[in-house]
Amino acid sequence: MVDDVSATITYVIDKLKTRVGVEGPPVTMTVEAGHVRGFVEAIGDPNPRWRKEAPPTFLVALAPPSTHVGDAEEWGKGWLNGGNRFEYFAPVMIGDQITSKGHLADVYDKAGSSGDLLFIIFETNYTNQRGELVARLRGTLIRR
Amino acid sequence: MKVTVGQELPELVKHPTTRQLVQYAGAQGDFYEIHYDQAYARSVGLPGVILHGLLKAGFLAQVVTDWLGEKGTLEAFEVSYRGIDEPGHPYRCRGRVTRVQGQKAELEVWGEDESGKRTTVGTATVTLAT
Repeated sequence: MVDDVSATITYVIDKLKTRVGVEGPPVTMTVEAGHVRGFVEAIGDPNPRWRKEAPPTFLVALAPPSTHVGDAEEWGKGWLNGGNRFEYFAPVMIGDQITSKGHLADVYDKAGSSGDLLFIIFETNYTNQRGELVARLRGTLIRR
Repeated sequence: MKVTVGQELPELVKHPTTRQLVQYAGAQGDFYEIHYDQAYARSVGLPGVILHGLLKAGFLAQVVTDWLGEKGTLEAFEVSYRGIDEPGHPYRCRGRVTRVQGQKAELEVWGEDESGKRTTVGTATVTLAT
């Protein structure tokens, strides 16, 4: 079940580094009431506010960060999520059309207690149908 | 809303199940097998399936939005995942006001496992309505 370790960490870092700062293809999705309902039900958040508005972490459901990091899977056996930082500039409402544009912000390795760790920092900017920047997400993914 | 440094936010205790992880996987679109496939999770060195970091972030965001209501705006929300959590164990989600300056307030938020270990820690910045 574990992926073959077929590339060295240096090879993968060099490959990913060529993509740092390069914006990926934009993804536009409508914030659908049923999608938001499924999301808040999974969290167990019954706040009626989410019948009209998307909750703070919903943005991740519009553009999975995995789209940036396929190449990293040539090395290591698994992923960890290191952290996420969201900044909010305007509310995201049901019915909004949100365009996500993401890029790798940084790639580096660190020696961990049980081997090397590969850190991938990505950033995604979210704009609505009026072209307003509504949120920004910065995330740390760790390949081990 | 009267907000003072040291004030605790009402806590939420979550009781995550594997079923909930599957629900969350579908809703977020994160189908990484460590969140629902026991054999796969063990094959990559985990004790079993584990909670999505972003599900724990969702719990902590709920602590903040439940407390804040319509009385303010969330400006920033940051979480770091420090440890793994397995379904079948209660997860205690808490928060506290750490700084108030004019209409801005800083909060710390965290999730604790049964032993009291903070496996998710974070901060939130809010602007309070006048």
